[in-house]
Amino acid sequence: MANAFMISGLTKTYKDFVLDHVSFTVPGGSIVGLIGENGAGKSTTLNAALGLIQKEDGIVSILGSKELDGDIKEQIGVVFDGSNYPEILSPRKLNRVMKNIYKSWDEQTWFRLLKQFSLPIDKQIKQFSKGMKMKLAISAAFSHHSKLLILDEATSGLDPIARDDILDMLLDFVQDEEHSILISSHITSDLEKIADYIVFIHEGKVVFSKPKDELTEQYGMIKCGAAQFDALDKSDIIVYRKRDYEWQVLISDREKMQKKYPKTMIVPASVDEIMLLYVKGEK
Amino acid sequence: MKGVLVKDLYIAGNNILVTIVSLIVLGFGLSFLLETSALLVLAPVASTTAAFISITSDAASKWNKNVITMPVSRSQIIGEKFLFYILLAIMGMITAFVPCIVLIFFGADVTPYSLCLYGSIGISATLLAGGISLPCAYLFDPEKSQIVFMMSFMASTGMIVGLVLLTNFVFPVKEHILLAFQIVLIISVIWFFLSYRIAVKVYQKRDIT
Repeated sequence: MANAFMISGLTKTYKDFVLDHVSFTVPGGSIVGLIGENGAGKSTTLNAALGLIQKEDGIVSILGSKELDGDIKEQIGVVFDGSNYPEILSPRKLNRVMKNIYKSWDEQTWFRLLKQFSLPIDKQIKQFSKGMKMKLAISAAFSHHSKLLILDEATSGLDPIARDDILDMLLDFVQDEEHSILISSHITSDLEKIADYIVFIHEGKVVFSKPKDELTEQYGMIKCGAAQFDALDKSDIIVYRKRDYEWQVLISDREKMQKKYPKTMIVPASVDEIMLLYVKGEK
Repeated sequence: MKGVLVKDLYIAGNNILVTIVSLIVLGFGLSFLLETSALLVLAPVASTTAAFISITSDAASKWNKNVITMPVSRSQIIGEKFLFYILLAIMGMITAFVPCIVLIFFGADVTPYSLCLYGSIGISATLLAGGISLPCAYLFDPEKSQIVFMMSFMASTGMIVGLVLLTNFVFPVKEHILLAFQIVLIISVIWFFLSYRIAVKVYQKRDIT
């Protein structure tokens, strides 16, 4: 399946931050989770890809096109952290606005989703809670037959039940192989539930871009003392972190390492732990 | 672009209504003190305040970030705001005509000459002010752009005086007042159009976050 989204060598320099040749893809029919700590460059990457900020270098291709023109934008649904819709409008008025913006705006889907999320149709958006605003923005992204959804911290303001509902919607969305999702989130547990691939950005660089199953099923963490740590072959170590009386060592193949170091305790590493070790650990 | 215009009309709706009612009341009220047609100077300027309500609302909700991801180009976003501004000015002019026409039936001294003169001054002031404030709304943050918005009306008055004084070098303005202000109007239209082109150019390169 062709890539729904591809960026290669994306570069943007600020006074105190550099997005440094970021490259990754979103294969068609898949969900890619973009993770990284605050200020790592997730939003900058998405903003540059969406043409909100000028990139210095690099190539962006969305749904096979390097030009982000109206026809391509018609097929992308974007949700930011916050609803970003005029707060004076009600969902009914917003419907009238959106159907004059999107050729493919589907009123029936819009009102069905509002009903599904129990969002009042005639109440001003300013009276909505943060969770309701996020649901509204997600409803809008789903209401114009998007082929690619780009969500920037879209689930962060939601309670666990609403998050779960939305994650289910996202999973339903990619059942059609023409649909793909790129989602950035701090909540790595959400991405563990739904993502097919994880892209980890740290200090403006892509640290890894891997299938999620490889991370959760093959990656592991050795928890050991100083003597065991010294005995480890350093080429097996991706990163390590020294806690008070314990060494935490990230390795890429649990099974292989268990055979090599049978007396060592090796546990599966969550995406959260992998991210934490990369950010706080040493090489 | 139509959707964005619909959005602005919703945002400015109440303000537009208040402006219309105020202008009509003011028109009838002024008729006891001044020429009713003098309202044409104030009406288009006053009615364009709604454009800045929509700009402030866009900034507060970060709508500009959202709309760029929709099938609307940056030049359409700017074009819509300039168009909205002109529509508001036209609406102000039409509203100001209402008391003028009504008062004609009651014997008020409203002549085509006075309508053209005051209309030219009002539209010139509006276009000159918009030519300054609209691009600045996309260059500066909302607080600064509100200050620029208020100052732009003072600046436009100064520009009109300056243009009239310059015209006076070519021909005596006192003897051809209407012609002088028609020249100012033409310059204002050109100014507004150039301002639109500059705003589009600036906005194309601007980072929206």
